[in-house]
Amino acid sequence: MEPTKNQNPEKPIAPPDRGDLVTTTAEGAAGPISLDALMAGDEKAFEQLVIQESPRLFRVIVRIIRDDDEAESILQETFLQAYQRIHTFRRESKLTTWLYAIGINLARASLRKSRRLSSLEDQEVERMQPEFNRGMFVETPAVWDPARVTELSDRRQLVRKGIEQLPEDYKTVVILRDIEEYSTDEVAKMLGISSGAVRVRLHRARGALRKLLDPHMRRLPEA
Amino acid sequence: MKFFTALKTALGMAPGCEEVNEFLAEYVEGSLDEKTQKQFEEHLGMCKCCDHYLDQYTSTIEMTKEAEADVAIPSELAEHTLAFLRKSDIFSQGSSSQTS
Repeated sequence: MEPTKNQNPEKPIAPPDRGDLVTTTAEGAAGPISLDALMAGDEKAFEQLVIQESPRLFRVIVRIIRDDDEAESILQETFLQAYQRIHTFRRESKLTTWLYAIGINLARASLRKSRRLSSLEDQEVERMQPEFNRGMFVETPAVWDPARVTELSDRRQLVRKGIEQLPEDYKTVVILRDIEEYSTDEVAKMLGISSGAVRVRLHRARGALRKLLDPHMRRLPEA
Repeated sequence: MKFFTALKTALGMAPGCEEVNEFLAEYVEGSLDEKTQKQFEEHLGMCKCCDHYLDQYTSTIEMTKEAEADVAIPSELAEHTLAFLRKSDIFSQGSSSQTS
């Protein structure tokens, strides 16, 4: 048998260990929050939840809608709805997963309402995937030169523009999985889709981003 | 691709480029079973196309994370939200909770 490739591409994906409201308490910056207290409508516990989760939830929302003021309004509406609907939380997921699902739904509704649509269609994302013939690559992927886009600000701008172009479903999965590093199962619960569907969207989104970056990253032919 | 790997792929005994690509998200996530993972690594170790593609795929993930690393959080974000909640009357009137 040939030697295996000693490559560990797992690193970018491992979700961070963050305290969460799993069963009865959560370890936030201000200490544990009782889930029972939250479910009973305890204001102090809810205030603690707001303080604990606002920054991260804001980041997710603002990355989806790209508007700070609107993101703050949606954050507030998210907590309002969460407080009003907390009795409907069935403890089948983390409370934060349930909370983030509310925020993501509101953010996506806002996007649709404002018609800030992405420039790529689903079919275009499909066409941006590599082509195969009899199971093999039709075209050998070009070698990338890591030094090609050297300025960090340029690179960031390029990638952000690429993310912006993705259809909403794909962009949301990239934000939650690759940027916020939630697990595939958590993303699935937040979006109300299967884990398999998350992986498929994520894979296609990454493939589309790779294709968009490709012309900028290819090694230039030597003069 | 080396002869035996190509042969095994042709005979359906090992994954080809398309199958490796289809399950790249699972591979990168580390959620493939041990046997499949080993087959994938064997293929990746010998196929330049897949090797290049995997490098670009993981670079894309890293660049995505890097591009979105900094989001400015508005000052007093939680305080504004709590003020909004109190104003909306969902909390009982006269709540004296402090937010700092």
